[in-house]
Amino acid sequence: MPPRIVLCDPIVYEDEGKAVLEGVAEVLQLDPSVDRDEFIRALRPGGRLEGVVGLYERNQSTGRIGHFDRDLISRLPRSVKWIAHVGVGYDKVDVAACKEHGIGVSNAPGALDETTATTALFLLISALRGFSAAEQSLRAGNWKNPHSAANAHDLTGRTLAILGLGGIGLRLAELVHAFPMRVLYHNRRKVANAPEWCEYYDKEHLDDMLAQSDVLSVHVPFTEETRNIVDERMIRKLKKGAVIINTARGQVVDEEAIMQALKDGHLSAVGLDVFHNEPNIDPRWYRFPNAVLLPHVGGSTAEAVRTMELCALQNLRDFVLTGKGRDLVAELR
Amino acid sequence: MDSPDRADFLAGLKPGGKYEGVVGLYRHNVSTDRIGLFDKEIIDALAAAGVKWIAHNGAGYDQIDVLYCKEKDIWVSNTPGAVDDATATTGFYLMISALRCFSRAERTLRAGGWKSTHKPGEAHDLTGRTLAVLGLGGIGLRLAELAHAFPMRIVYHNRRPNPDAPAWCEYFGADRLDEMLAQADVLSVHVPLKDSTVGMVDETMIRKLKRGAVIVNTARGKVIDEPAMIRALEDGHLGAVGLDVFPDEPQVNPRLLDFPNATLLPHMGTETCDSQKKMEIRALSNLRDFLTKGKGFDIIPEFK
Repeated sequence: MPPRIVLCDPIVYEDEGKAVLEGVAEVLQLDPSVDRDEFIRALRPGGRLEGVVGLYERNQSTGRIGHFDRDLISRLPRSVKWIAHVGVGYDKVDVAACKEHGIGVSNAPGALDETTATTALFLLISALRGFSAAEQSLRAGNWKNPHSAANAHDLTGRTLAILGLGGIGLRLAELVHAFPMRVLYHNRRKVANAPEWCEYYDKEHLDDMLAQSDVLSVHVPFTEETRNIVDERMIRKLKKGAVIINTARGQVVDEEAIMQALKDGHLSAVGLDVFHNEPNIDPRWYRFPNAVLLPHVGGSTAEAVRTMELCALQNLRDFVLTGKGRDLVAELR
Repeated sequence: MDSPDRADFLAGLKPGGKYEGVVGLYRHNVSTDRIGLFDKEIIDALAAAGVKWIAHNGAGYDQIDVLYCKEKDIWVSNTPGAVDDATATTGFYLMISALRCFSRAERTLRAGGWKSTHKPGEAHDLTGRTLAVLGLGGIGLRLAELAHAFPMRIVYHNRRPNPDAPAWCEYFGADRLDEMLAQADVLSVHVPLKDSTVGMVDETMIRKLKRGAVIVNTARGKVIDEPAMIRALEDGHLGAVGLDVFPDEPQVNPRLLDFPNATLLPHMGTETCDSQKKMEIRALSNLRDFLTKGKGFDIIPEFK
């Protein structure tokens, strides 16, 4: 009997997706109406999903089983040994709990470099140019009032600081280098394959980097270490009139501190794709004319979805055939 | 120039008037609000007053009847180059927004709908897609550079190949224009507005684009046949548009506001303090060179 895999969320690219596991595993689809208790019952002996060894799941699941938190993971039967996360950021999967239960977790590293970097670039241009407020003004029948060119800037020659030069940060660096913007970055360690025009600033010199930056773009994963890493102190070290762009996770920035800095003009604008408590974001964000806001669509393109889905399914395939997926997350290595 | 209206301006140019003796003008399109376009009436008055140079601030000078200026021996300069970066960046923004459905996403979020209208299947990455530049001048070339960073494939149509264009800008002459349009995911418009380009992007050209294509316009509204564009949005032949200019600014055809995938800006192409400074300096330098050397550097093509 072939090993059994459950798709906790539907596959969009069905034909290609199903082909990855063809002949390798039996693929079962979870009904979106099933809640957590029903799901656990179904996984047990006698249940419709009994003996399942691997799970395929997305962050923004449409189903009712909820996120893979400690409670859900601790209730999974022992047969489940792999969770293939369909996404890059896996902060909503409790990997510590998975480790304790001997469950491997894979993500889709690199799958969103292009897509998310493009989002950051869009937010950056919009914030520096005041385009969001300008479009709102046009649509409200006011043409371009009350835009002032004095507050709008070209990108060329300005300085972008990247917090976290991983795949996405590096891709953004390439895109802004075309203007060119000057690129500075802070990382826990210097990035070996970064181009020489990416100027590295270590922890000791972080304040120095911030003082030179017109734009700070955040590209760190959300972990307990990075919670609120962009705090009051870091914000105030930026030069007056700076811009913050966040396409990482809402939890890595102190929203209160950012709002205060927008109010007193220390920050001239922000571009945000991610927030605390999505989708119920703080309604105060809507009142800042110089805030560009997107509803966490940074990784949402047809191409990115396909790449992430196929990556997750490939990891499940490799797990079934060899006992291990290629993209085991760092914490479990 | 402090005239609140045309009548005052014309009166000032007459003998004994406050502008008597003027030989050169610095001009920006904002003066249109007060004294109107530089048509035959104004040009006659300028010529009679002895004006010999109009240093226009802006790349597009469709608000000046330049052929009539030539007849009346008044030279005209514009500010090419100074507008390229800011305008190309605007086109770049509109293209990204259109391909990624970002305008609609932000509007839905602000209306309390989070991302309910966003369908990932409709949003696309730029890498590997084809950008067709209609008019590879300074602005078109700058946009090509920015898009090439992904890379997008760059194709262009010009009256003649641009000798400054890098090898990766593929030229399509008039005989192969249809071939170019059929391959374009995005068509970005960068031709100046003159009699020969009014309605250039017409029903025929739009229909030659592949279904779902995007049009971006940072040139002039009148270059596109607006009703044809709207029809193509209605029936889905065009997937999205990104527009910074409109035929009758500041009026915007309200029909455009109905399309979920339209990104619309109120003629923001050069609205940055950095570019405005560059443009002012360029225009004033042309005026200075006229006064000190007899000729400004950026004489418009119609005079060459």
